[in-house]
Amino acid sequence: MRAAVLGVLLLVACSGEARAECRARTPPTAGFVRRTEEIARNYPDRVRALEERMFTLTGEDEERIGVRTDAVLVVHQGALLYERYARGYDRTNPHLAWSVTKTITSLLTGRAVAEGALGLDDSVCRFVPEVADGKCAITVRHLLTMSSGLDWDEGYEGGERQASSVVAMLVGQGRRDMAAFVLGHDFAAAPGTAFRYSTGDTTALARVLEVAMRPTGGLDWDFRTLFEPLGLSSMTFERDAGGWLVGGAYSFATPEDWARLGLFMLDDGCWAGTRLLPEGWMRDATTPSAPFRAKRFADDLTFPLEEGYSIWINRTVPGVRDTRPLPSVPEDAFVALGHWNQLVVVIPSLDLVVVRAGDDRDETALDVDGFVRSAITLTGTP
Amino acid sequence: MKRLALLALVALAASCARYEDNDLVLITRYSAKQTCSCLFVMKRDRAFCDAWARESPDVKTVSVDLAKKEVETQAGVLWGAKARFVDARRGCVLD
Repeated sequence: MRAAVLGVLLLVACSGEARAECRARTPPTAGFVRRTEEIARNYPDRVRALEERMFTLTGEDEERIGVRTDAVLVVHQGALLYERYARGYDRTNPHLAWSVTKTITSLLTGRAVAEGALGLDDSVCRFVPEVADGKCAITVRHLLTMSSGLDWDEGYEGGERQASSVVAMLVGQGRRDMAAFVLGHDFAAAPGTAFRYSTGDTTALARVLEVAMRPTGGLDWDFRTLFEPLGLSSMTFERDAGGWLVGGAYSFATPEDWARLGLFMLDDGCWAGTRLLPEGWMRDATTPSAPFRAKRFADDLTFPLEEGYSIWINRTVPGVRDTRPLPSVPEDAFVALGHWNQLVVVIPSLDLVVVRAGDDRDETALDVDGFVRSAITLTGTP
Repeated sequence: MKRLALLALVALAASCARYEDNDLVLITRYSAKQTCSCLFVMKRDRAFCDAWARESPDVKTVSVDLAKKEVETQAGVLWGAKARFVDARRGCVLD
């Protein structure tokens, strides 16, 4: 028996998991340590400034104008400094994440790589063999960095619905088998040569993950490999009519569970001292991808930040942009960003996670930089 | 009359669109799915969900079966959609 235990310890010691150092932090799997009353007492003016910025509604609800915040949470050094809900939400209501879901799918990809179920340079045809031969040049990495090259129109409200690939995928002709719909598009560029923001790429990635992970993880592989270990008890990850993960949108969770995801990313993919993502994954995930540096489609220039592995990054990029998208926020910040201004902002240098759930039908109404700057002041930073 | 003009516009738009489903089809499906998720995943009430899932043009009717956890939407006599709640992990799906 003792020999067996020693053997296991030796095996663990020799594995990559043991080499990778994880931060010693008690994870808030069951609940966050709360310092909200202390912060309200110590910084009443800062709390008021944050609330005036984020919770002041404009016009009638049916007009859907201005900043429409549903929740704000600020987590510093693993403790909850601030928490407020609005517009009828409370801490028990899961919130639609929209494209924050893409970042979650990116993390699931890291779990799949950690478990050896796939490699980033594997062809999509290894997992979805029914794809046309010409598409076999698309790899997992291309889908992860939105550089499949597929001709995709990421239009939402305000545009022509029938021209929008994402609308057609979610509620149009693609809804029954979304990944097949995505991969049925023609190429607009060779895979890996250009960045184009695409919910479709992430949905195709979700199909690859499902095929790779179901044999060992079962139908609930996403819960077993990530959501359950992190204690994300409110998570809903919706599927298409064929039973496959949507992946690019349509996940729901409470803002507190979004904060747990933020803390997981802040801690380099570790939870409770255990490394769940491969060593170096978060570093690579928050580095501008080669396709992004090489070429961006014109319509993607309107997006304010650049992407790593479906994570928005607050960095200057030589030859692309010489100012930070969020100039008041440290350069190491990265963001999971969703439609209507869902935000999970992670700032490793400040040990800070800032969550905002919202319903900004006019996404330009929110000053994200000002919001994050205001949240940072609650940590004691002037 | 307004509705007739809208249908004519929809038919015109459909004739030169990239994808096959017209606006009314897309709106009914979107509203069914969003309302279903709002009620049964987000756990908000009907009044909130009606407002939250509203799309323009708002030409649909919405029916909710709370017992079956299903939402049906209808626009005119031709276009309808149904979404149903599967379970807490899988949320809602469009039929």
